[in-house]
Amino acid sequence: MENKKIPTRMGDGSLTWMTAGEIRADIEEGTRVAAERAKVPPLDEAELGHLLEIFASASRFTGVDIGDEVVLTYDGVGSQHIGTRIHDLQLYEQHLGADSVELYHPDYSFKAVKTVVPYEQGVMRQAQANVTVPLNYGAMPDLGRYTQPDGPVPNWSTLMPLGKIDEARAAQEEAVEHAVADMVYVCDGMLEAGADGVDFDTAGAAGDADFLAALRAIEAVRGRHPDAGIQIGMASEFVLGMHGNLEYEGVRLAGLWPREQMKLAAKAGATIFGPAVNVNTGKSGAWNVARAITIVKPCVQEAEIPVHMNVGMGVGGTPMAPWPPADAVSRSSRALVDILRLDGL
Amino acid sequence: MADPYDQLKESLIAGDGAGVERLTRELLDAGRSAREILDGGLLPGMEVVGQRMRSGECFIPEVLLSARTMQAALELLKPHLASGDSGSLGTVVIGTVEGDLHDIGKNLVAMLLQGAGFVVVNLGTGVTSAQFVAAVKEHDAQVLGMSALLTTTLPHMPETIAALSAAGLRDKVKVMIGGAPVTQAYCDEVGADGYGANAALAVETARALLA
Repeated sequence: MENKKIPTRMGDGSLTWMTAGEIRADIEEGTRVAAERAKVPPLDEAELGHLLEIFASASRFTGVDIGDEVVLTYDGVGSQHIGTRIHDLQLYEQHLGADSVELYHPDYSFKAVKTVVPYEQGVMRQAQANVTVPLNYGAMPDLGRYTQPDGPVPNWSTLMPLGKIDEARAAQEEAVEHAVADMVYVCDGMLEAGADGVDFDTAGAAGDADFLAALRAIEAVRGRHPDAGIQIGMASEFVLGMHGNLEYEGVRLAGLWPREQMKLAAKAGATIFGPAVNVNTGKSGAWNVARAITIVKPCVQEAEIPVHMNVGMGVGGTPMAPWPPADAVSRSSRALVDILRLDGL
Repeated sequence: MADPYDQLKESLIAGDGAGVERLTRELLDAGRSAREILDGGLLPGMEVVGQRMRSGECFIPEVLLSARTMQAALELLKPHLASGDSGSLGTVVIGTVEGDLHDIGKNLVAMLLQGAGFVVVNLGTGVTSAQFVAAVKEHDAQVLGMSALLTTTLPHMPETIAALSAAGLRDKVKVMIGGAPVTQAYCDEVGADGYGANAALAVETARALLA
């Protein structure tokens, strides 16, 4: 029985076969490496056992018990998978169980979207007339877009290897100012057009300056729209120090893990925090989920605002594949909800 | 009073160029040898910087500041080094392979290697295997570092290793490879001696290869 091979997934979505002992070893290693790296406690025996139960099952699909369901807050919907963007929002609302949906432009960058705000406002008004669930508008802070030749500031990734550290830092600081102005402008426009909330998605993708821009924009939007929903979804588990010295509310942003990210997001005025833990495609789903849960657990335990963890292509233990397999998505989703007691996904 | 080597080490870690220059001059004036200053403060300082980068406590800009500070200190020490002691840990020839123009990561590695005390000959991008071989020969390099970002240019790595063998240099130089598509498995497959998953680890690998 011990040597029976169980079908399971790798982080790239490919099917593999492992024994229960091998899956258990992966779960133990996943939590160990996460605990060491993020300096957080590893999962306890009961949690490891529950993960094994989920991943050692050969069932096609799994899910939480009735009554344990959580809110599904979707980002990145409302493109044109089928028909128009509004059809897409309706599809997620009516067929895929979405509790909130998000209209977005395919460029998915506040800098790009600012040029089409009046058009987006029209779509938002139409969409609000057609969906019932809360409807957000989302985009990325996308700080890299502000570098030359696409933007106004020198490219810090080019400056740094030349030893121009001060110039690289100054460029990032200038980009933050541009990004905050753009984000506030777009959020103003979309909230005035009827959006129930806004989403700052993939925050921190360009490092600590990117995260700072998102926090400062959230603070400004909260001040201007006291009742708006404000969601922030992170790009990864760890804020990279591309600048290194930036602070928000006296806290250095470089090197922050989800617990500290959440606290700053709450302080800025966000209403939902979405931690992200990226997937290692060379490791099994069991390894990745154990790692993700270990990293995010302290964030949920100390949550000051609802935590809706990012679960999807390449994050939250879900395979990095264009259409992640249902068996893998259901396993990672159930494991995250069961163990972390999340507010939503 | 704090140990002057500890002060030097801490100033280097902080990337305090003026402080490191002042302390290095003071130590030289006090009759300390250049080798003592290197081994007592500067190299241990860069070691700490590398460790902190690996553990996520400090980041690329800070590491580069320390590396730049180390470089300036090395320039001060050079005239005082004993004959035959270049102060360097070895010579590294580095470049991005033929057909590949990506050099940000490679330049970061070059800066960190210099900061750690290596002499670095940076050949730039699109370097052919013949150019790598010629540079290794000309500079009597102990390490050759090759970088690639494109999977399509990876085959130039084993091609260069074969060219080193054909030139009779393979046993005299350690080959390190790196870049986004490179893995330890690929390093083993093509017969390279070392792989650095990131810039800090590349420096560690270079040190280990020459230990």
